[in-house]
Amino acid sequence: MSDHREFEAEREKIDFLLEQGYVIKGVTENLSGAFVEFVYQGNDKEKSEKERLHVLHPDSRKYFSTILVQQQRKQSVK
Amino acid sequence: MADLSLNLAGIKSPNPFWLASAPPTNSGYQVQRAFEAGWGGAVWKTLGEPILNVSSRFAAVGFNGKKVAGFNNIELITDRPLEVNLKEIYETKKKFPNHAIIASLMVEPTQEKWHEIVKRVEDVGVDGLELNFGCPHGMAERGMGAASGQVPELVEKQTMWAKEVAQTPVIVKLTPNITDITFTAEAAVNGGADAVSMINTINSLAGVDIDTWDTIPNVAGKGAHGGYCGPAVKPIALNMVAECARHPKINVPISGMGGVSSWREAVEFMLMGATGVQVCTAAMHHGFSIVEDMKDGLNNYLDEKGIDSVMDLVGKSVEKYSDWGNLDLNHQIVAKINNDVCINCNKCHIACEDTSHQCIDMLKDANGNDILKVREEDCVGCNLCSIVCPVDGAIDMVEYANGKPPMTWNERQAAIGAVSSCDVDLIK
Repeated sequence: MSDHREFEAEREKIDFLLEQGYVIKGVTENLSGAFVEFVYQGNDKEKSEKERLHVLHPDSRKYFSTILVQQQRKQSVK
Repeated sequence: MADLSLNLAGIKSPNPFWLASAPPTNSGYQVQRAFEAGWGGAVWKTLGEPILNVSSRFAAVGFNGKKVAGFNNIELITDRPLEVNLKEIYETKKKFPNHAIIASLMVEPTQEKWHEIVKRVEDVGVDGLELNFGCPHGMAERGMGAASGQVPELVEKQTMWAKEVAQTPVIVKLTPNITDITFTAEAAVNGGADAVSMINTINSLAGVDIDTWDTIPNVAGKGAHGGYCGPAVKPIALNMVAECARHPKINVPISGMGGVSSWREAVEFMLMGATGVQVCTAAMHHGFSIVEDMKDGLNNYLDEKGIDSVMDLVGKSVEKYSDWGNLDLNHQIVAKINNDVCINCNKCHIACEDTSHQCIDMLKDANGNDILKVREEDCVGCNLCSIVCPVDGAIDMVEYANGKPPMTWNERQAAIGAVSSCDVDLIK
C-alpha cells in the first residue's frame, strides 16, 4: 500500500466515525503515534458510547487534529 | 534615485555599505581608498595594545569552482601603536567628514582600560565605537574578544564601562560562537549599547593538507583555529540577525555582517532587521571597487520597488520570521515537472527515491518518450527535486489547494491539551 493509501484508509475510519455522530473527546500521543477517543453524541442506542482509533500516518494525525481544532472553534462560538 | 543614506543609532553615512573591522581597514591609506571608491563607512581594524602576528594568516575554502566560498584567518587586531592609528583616523575623518568612521576596540576587561581607550579614541573625532567581543582566535586566549563575548555578564559589564565615558554611539560586536546569540545581545542592551553588530567570525579550521598532513593555514607546520567568514556563513549570520531583530528585549539597531558579497545580501540583511551592513571578505577577494555595483544594484532595486529610502527596508521581513510552532501544518506545496523543459537527467527521481519520499515516477508518454511525473498525493513539498534539478524552469513548486484551514503546531497542541487523554492500555 502506498503511503497515501495508508493515509486514506485511516482518514476513512475517522470520517466514518464522524459521520456516525461521534466527536473527538480524547487524544494521547506517544512513540506509537496517536490514540484518538471518539464519543457518540447521537440518539441511536445501538451505537457504542466510545470508539478509539490508533492513528499512525502523519497526514492522518494532521487530519484528526484539524477536525479537533474546528470542533473546538465551533464550540467556542456557541 | 533612492536615498541610500543611513542612520544607525545616530551614526550617519552616505550609504549602508561599511567595511568591517578587518585587514581592509588597517590603515588610513586603505580607508581613504575605500571612501574614494564609494564605501559609506569603515570600522577601523580593532585598536588595542599592538599585537604580534604570524605568517601565514589566511586560507580560503573553495567549492565547486568557486575559489572563496569561505574564508579563514588567524590574523589578530592591529599591530600598530595606538598613536599611529589615531593620527590616521583624524586625518581620514578630516578628509572625509561625511563618511562614518567607527573605531573597533578591544582591551582587557577592566574599567580603567575601557575608560582610557574610549577617551583617547573619541578625542580624534570618530563617529562611533564598536566593542570587539567577537574575535575568536588569539586574543580570546588572553581573555579578550570572543572569550569575554561568550559571557553575558562580561558583555554587560564592559559595555557599561565603555558607556560610562563614551560621547559617541557604542556598538557591541557579538560572537557567533555561542549557543544563543540573543543572550549576549540582550546583555549588551542591558549594558547600555546603542546598537549591536553581528556576526564576528566562526571558530574554524580551513583544512588539512592530505599530503603533508599540515593544517591549512599553518605556521611552520603548526596550526591554530581561526575565524571563518565569507559567503558560506551568510545563512548563519542572517539567522542571528533575524533572531535578535525579533527579540522583544533587543530593541537597538543591528549592524549586519557575515557573507555580504553583493547588494542582494545587503537587502536580505536589512529586510531581516539590519540597519546597514558591513563587508570584508568580498572586498578582500575583489577589491574596494565592488561597492559601485553594490550601490547601483541597491539603488535600482529600491527604484523598482518604489521605495524612497534604504532605511525603509529595515526590518520589513522580521514579522515573517517566527518559531516553527507557528507555521501552518496544513499548507501544502507539491513539485510539478515540466516535461517540455525537463532533460530527463533523472536527478530528481534519484534524489527523491534515495533520500526523500519516493514520489517521482519514471514513465513513458503516449509516444514512448521517457517522462518524469510526480505523484502529488505522496509529495511532501520538500523542494529537494527542484534543488538538485540542473535546468531552470523544469520543476516548479506549486501550492496544492487541499481545502484545509490553517493550523499551526501550537494551535494543534493547545487543542489536544484541551481534551482529555485516552486510556492507551485499552488499545490493541
